Amino acid sequence: MSRGRALRALIRKDLVIELRGREVVLAMLTFVAAAFVLVRFGLGGQEVAGGTRAATGLLWVVIVFTSLLGLVRSFAHEREAEVWDGLLTAPVDRALFWVARSCATVVFLVTMELIALPAFWLFFLQSGRSPSLPVLVAAVFLADLGIAVLGSFLAGVAAAGRASEVLLPVLFLPFAVPLVIGAVTVTAGTFSPQTSDFTTLEGLGFLGLYDTIFALLGWAMFEYVVED
Amino acid sequence: MSAPTVTPERPRIDTPTAVTALACVLMAVALWLVFFWVPNDAIDGFRQRIFYLHVPIAMTTYLLFVWGAINAARLLWTGDLSLDLKSYVPMHLGTVFGTLTLITGSIWAHTSWGVWWYWGSEELNSFLIIFLFYCAYFMLRFSIEPGERRARYSAVYALLGVGLIPVSVAAVHLAQNEFHPIVFTDRGAQMANGMLFTFLVAFAAVFTLAVSMYLVELRGKRLDERLADLRRRAAGRA
Repeated sequence: MSRGRALRALIRKDLVIELRGREVVLAMLTFVAAAFVLVRFGLGGQEVAGGTRAATGLLWVVIVFTSLLGLVRSFAHEREAEVWDGLLTAPVDRALFWVARSCATVVFLVTMELIALPAFWLFFLQSGRSPSLPVLVAAVFLADLGIAVLGSFLAGVAAAGRASEVLLPVLFLPFAVPLVIGAVTVTAGTFSPQTSDFTTLEGLGFLGLYDTIFALLGWAMFEYVVED
Repeated sequence: MSAPTVTPERPRIDTPTAVTALACVLMAVALWLVFFWVPNDAIDGFRQRIFYLHVPIAMTTYLLFVWGAINAARLLWTGDLSLDLKSYVPMHLGTVFGTLTLITGSIWAHTSWGVWWYWGSEELNSFLIIFLFYCAYFMLRFSIEPGERRARYSAVYALLGVGLIPVSVAAVHLAQNEFHPIVFTDRGAQMANGMLFTFLVAFAAVFTLAVSMYLVELRGKRLDERLADLRRRAAGRA
């Protein structure tokens, strides 16, 4: 089976499981909406004191925590139903399991953000300026890619330990810190007319670098994660 | 026929003992230089002397993490499980030295800037992210039963941390402005010869201390493994 066909089949498997079970995206949507409301009331009805930058910081922290809901379910079906052993016998590159899972996670994250970002703007930023949409879309996509690539890899690593649902956030959050820094820098810049093109490009470049480094490390090492 | 003579075995000085002795001597010399010999800094005065401890400890922490990652890569490459301890022990010591870096850095921040933690310092903040990563390494390691799986997964996670180091530094640079004192620039060390000498001796002392701790802990862990193995065999025979 060619790599392309195998990858398409694996992505389709993840998406069909989600369409039938609706376990991940609905949970993420409910969580992200509840988190925004929680933050809004936590602020006591006040505006975010740090302005747009602090508000986008809150946005990305909530997105990272929401993404963990989806990531803890990565490879869960395969391991629970003993499908994993069958998958490992397939004559395909094992890194494809991780690539497919990353692609499915990006789809879940983008679906969640289609609702979450307008809700965030409505709750926190509607009195301010509108963001520059192309830059915002690029930043969100690159950050989602980073979360998906690294999160899916670490979900595979965490599955080896006891209580993998608890372990995954512990393994993932140190890696999320630079990602949140990059995403907040670019996202906050999209609301400000003073942001130079260089700052925007620097931020997007950083997110691209982050994705590239961890994609390469993931591709090189995933076979060690699924050896048994 | 004369009784067989037993020649008493001469006490052998092995490498860990020799390195530990050297570390003690170097540390004594370094502390003497730091507190009694080197002149006060022109701007920061006496309090700047924590530099001679903080920077060598931070540099040693990075070296320990690099050594741990190199052994992790060798383990994955060769499949030699004896490298697991050689990867784990530097990580463990790196976390101990990392804690010391954060404590001494915090003291330096308080004496220089008046706050125990300054979020504008690139070095402190990127170090904090990397330190958090190594704490997570232990969570992973101790959630897997000892054996081949633990060695392999620990090595994979340790190598992932190598990617985090440049990314953290770049991210913190993206977010902040410069404030941390920069002593080593591309034009060399920005300090007087006496200060540089004291710094080098302090670095040698801290580094030798780390090497001696590495050798002693490695020996201890190997003894633990042998003992556990003997216990298993004894239980099997009983």
